[in-house]
Amino acid sequence: MTVRVVPRAALDAWVNDLVQRQKVYGVQLKEERFAFGPLVRAADLRLDYDVTLLPPKKYFLPQREVLSRFDRFKVEFEPVLADEPFVLLGVHPYDFEAIRQLDAIFSRNHPDAHYLTRRRNATIVVSDVETPSQDVFAACMGTATADCMDGWDVLLTRIADATYAVEARTEKGTALVGQIQGTKGAGEADLEQRRAVWDRNRDVLKKHQLRMNPEDLPDLLARSYDHPVWEEKAALCYSCGSCNLVCPTCYCFDVADELHWDLQTGERTRHWDGCMLEKFAEVAGGHNFRGGKAARYRHRYYRKGKWIHDLTGDIACVGCGRCISACTAKIANPVEVFNRLMEATS
Amino acid sequence: MRKPRIGIFDFACCEGCQLQIVNLEEEILDLLGVVTPVEWREAMSDQAEKGESFDIALVEGSITREEDAERLREIRARAKFLIALGACATIGGVNKLKNNFGMNDVKETVYGEAADMPHLETMPTKALHEVVQVDYMVHGCPIEAAELAHVVRTLLAGKTPTLPAYPVCVECKLKENACRFEFGEICLGPITRAGCGARCPSEGSWCFGCRGLVDDPNTQAAREVMAHYGKTIDDLRGKMLLFNSK
Repeated sequence: MTVRVVPRAALDAWVNDLVQRQKVYGVQLKEERFAFGPLVRAADLRLDYDVTLLPPKKYFLPQREVLSRFDRFKVEFEPVLADEPFVLLGVHPYDFEAIRQLDAIFSRNHPDAHYLTRRRNATIVVSDVETPSQDVFAACMGTATADCMDGWDVLLTRIADATYAVEARTEKGTALVGQIQGTKGAGEADLEQRRAVWDRNRDVLKKHQLRMNPEDLPDLLARSYDHPVWEEKAALCYSCGSCNLVCPTCYCFDVADELHWDLQTGERTRHWDGCMLEKFAEVAGGHNFRGGKAARYRHRYYRKGKWIHDLTGDIACVGCGRCISACTAKIANPVEVFNRLMEATS
Repeated sequence: MRKPRIGIFDFACCEGCQLQIVNLEEEILDLLGVVTPVEWREAMSDQAEKGESFDIALVEGSITREEDAERLREIRARAKFLIALGACATIGGVNKLKNNFGMNDVKETVYGEAADMPHLETMPTKALHEVVQVDYMVHGCPIEAAELAHVVRTLLAGKTPTLPAYPVCVECKLKENACRFEFGEICLGPITRAGCGARCPSEGSWCFGCRGLVDDPNTQAAREVMAHYGKTIDDLRGKMLLFNSK
């Protein structure tokens, strides 16, 4: 589909209609911060948000979900799949890149039916960043804009005060955008304004400056295993997992069985886990493969810059900056750590 | 099969954790479907014979007198599993505030002229595990009824209950709360054991630390982290006194 232009009022009318017909999640104010939540009216939608507390991955891999119901004496399992279509409104490009990476992870080897069912049901409306967050560095990671990304359904860009450019790239997206009344085809001036937004974002979404190309990270980390920065930073680590939990590309989980009162039937659940938590790498018998803080601290950076790359070819940091803001001890800035490694080895 | 027998006991406390058991409401019938309560002063009129044994003893409250310690040892001897219930029992909680003072000062403050009466004799507060072996702990002030239910069901199924070893920050992030430190508050979340679902931060307050410290709290980090937020170690210690006095 070509690019169309829509006034904010028309966009709002469409959103107000859409929320009546299907499940819509959009960004809204929460405690002076922003969060994705069920949207009930257009007035609550905040496309001018800087960053959400949690990334939108929670709609594909929820904090806690039931995987199956079981009967432990009959040894029967019945899978539970969340099979309801929904629209995700206002995903920033860096968060969309993270979803694309998770799609690849959850499709490997044993495709994850729970994740992929939710993903199939989603129509994702990406929106270009209007307000840079305090710690964003997406521009350093090549994720400031979505123009070169594949897989999003709709892209929304605010090109003037109350005017948006809207483009659909998929069949689902085209159907969704087709419902908006009062759009007109974008002219060359509109497209120019959209490019200006992208140019600006590639320039300003850089609150921290990475002094290397992201593609250099795997090699850099390969020669930095014994660098003193791991011990140094980890000395202040609370092992609270905040950096993991707010990360759009972290996907580790734990699985637990919860019995009902009949002590026979129950639910198998999974919930988010994090490699910075003390017991994450503890196995049967009590051995912990990463019992020390520094080993856990280092692992997170390797996971972002090398291990995932070895697996899928992606650099698993999209520059959202959430870990930097969320870390109470202020030790979780990947840019600072990677630059420090660079100094030592260049 | 004989239903497991359960006894519920209290020491120095407000009995709010037992109230949480009653607050299971409809679920309490499920609980009674799988266990037989034999002793529960707060909710039952008939009590067990002296010396009768039971499978699970749920014990609330702190130990503050020698005769309490003796009674706890007797309960321990009768119970297959002993579960400490709530902050007073698991960490001493609010009752340990008095350990910051001399026992005579404490008695005089509370009882005035009557402080020397023999029945008011008191000793520094102890959590249950400082007196007898405790098998499992259900933390909190008050306990989470759902967590107790989980522990009881897991034990009855012959499994080992596991409780969170990670700090409250985990559950706070899962709830998508903004961090209390960003509002200029000292929150005990980073060093406090989770399991409450970050109840207080989710209501807009800092964590009071009622579930006790995580196994390996990073006390080394405290000074630098407090300085980052314009606070001191003493500010932090002040917050910890309420539930985590020694």
